[in-house]
Amino acid sequence: MSGGQKWIWVVALGLHLFLIATISLQDISSTLANTASLLPSRFEPLLDWTETVTSAAIGNHLDVSNPLRQVLAAYADVTGIEAGYSYFAPNVPGNAKLAFELHYADGRVEYDLPVVGGEAAGYRVATLLDQLRTLHYGRLREAIVKTLVLSVRQEHPDAVMIRAVFGVAHLTSVAEYRMGQRISYETLYAYDFHFHPQTSRPH
Amino acid sequence: MMRQRLWAFLFPPDSDCWVTILRIGLGLQLTFFAWSVRVDWNDLFRTNGPGLVNRALTEAILSSETAFTPRLGWLTAFGQRFGFTETASLSFIWFGLLVAGLCLLAGLCCRFFAIGAWFLYLCTVKSGLLFAYGVDNFTTIGLFYLMIAPLPDAWSLDWRLREHRALSPKRFGFHRRILQLHLCLIYFFAGLSKSLGADWWNGNSIWRALTRPPFNLVSAEVLIRFAYLLPAIGILVCLLETGYPVFIWLRRTRPFWLAAILLMHLSIGLTMGLYLFASIMIVLNVAAFGPDSLAQLTRKLFWRSSRASLLSDPDADRIVS
Repeated sequence: MSGGQKWIWVVALGLHLFLIATISLQDISSTLANTASLLPSRFEPLLDWTETVTSAAIGNHLDVSNPLRQVLAAYADVTGIEAGYSYFAPNVPGNAKLAFELHYADGRVEYDLPVVGGEAAGYRVATLLDQLRTLHYGRLREAIVKTLVLSVRQEHPDAVMIRAVFGVAHLTSVAEYRMGQRISYETLYAYDFHFHPQTSRPH
Repeated sequence: MMRQRLWAFLFPPDSDCWVTILRIGLGLQLTFFAWSVRVDWNDLFRTNGPGLVNRALTEAILSSETAFTPRLGWLTAFGQRFGFTETASLSFIWFGLLVAGLCLLAGLCCRFFAIGAWFLYLCTVKSGLLFAYGVDNFTTIGLFYLMIAPLPDAWSLDWRLREHRALSPKRFGFHRRILQLHLCLIYFFAGLSKSLGADWWNGNSIWRALTRPPFNLVSAEVLIRFAYLLPAIGILVCLLETGYPVFIWLRRTRPFWLAAILLMHLSIGLTMGLYLFASIMIVLNVAAFGPDSLAQLTRKLFWRSSRASLLSDPDADRIVS
């Protein structure tokens, strides 16, 4: 390896590590700014400043169509560094749950859950539901719920109305569990999808 | 002087042992991934017919961020030009992932399949970005580093079947440094963010992580019997992760720190059912820091056993003298 080649590799490594650190810092500062943590409140301006600076450094303040932003996002995607590493931090969030209430023409009501064939896909569905909880764009959330409802409708073609109830769990602490409390669910959203008999498209 | 020290740190002569570990580990990871999603593959990624989430929607979200990231839509559109249906293209891609995993495992056409595996896996993950989780990021990271690493390694079929000249040990050393530094950043930020949550210090976060569906493999009734251990485990996780960038580099602490981190990931896999996540973290750690730790351990054991045999040998004095 010649000296010139070494310099090229070192500069590339420097930029790569800079991006990893910046994305991680942006993730940690936005997570800590939005959730309760041990960090005293006087650090809030610092967190805001860090989030602003790191977001700017990775091009998030640029227009979506800006080539630099597009290239930076694509580089982060292809190298697998687009997300930070604050899993289950600073606190473990409650899991999201989606349940379907199936109404039939004769007045019957049945209940169902999103079903997949394998355990590995089951974890992915859990991730999808957690993503739905943090999604702020209501129409996108509804569109995703609609596709899940359509897959349930395949299994129950006679249902005339499917209500999708989306909730989040309140996980107990050790002390709460000892006092007899168990996981409880709070409903966040409910969507009703009506179907004409013999059709699969909701209206 | 400063530059020389930097050069010595970034370009240490190294063997290809870590590339072998990374290649075989990622080959296994990819094979298990493909096998684990085989039943739901079409439901996860098709655009026509009822699927879990329409791929067109996830790819539209991806396009709103960047148009340059590879996705399954590119491959299915390419397949359509040759008359393949979407289902046929998806099946072909799944088969490609499986073959890439097996060929990496054997070390056949290493570079070609390293690039192919990275590309197909990336397309899969990005087209399913709404249900992608940590394991996908770490597998992409591993595949990216394998793709740019010096290949083939001496344990691959490529090396045995074709005549290859030995690659520069400094190149092996540099590429391994990238992986090592990346892992240090990962653990530092993961540990720091956990350390700032009160529940990681009193055991409640460990309790919640283990009782949170769908990770609640261990029943809460069983877990509560060991509740007194949870604060210690929570604190240990914070210390292990935050201290990783320091203690993994020190010669004396490296084997212990690596063993503790591997044990942590093994426990995550067994108690939460996150087998693929556990295995990718173990592969990355063993590839990055395993060869040194193993050599160190072997040296220590060999030194001890040779010393013990010398001491127990009646002719030891004669041998030593």
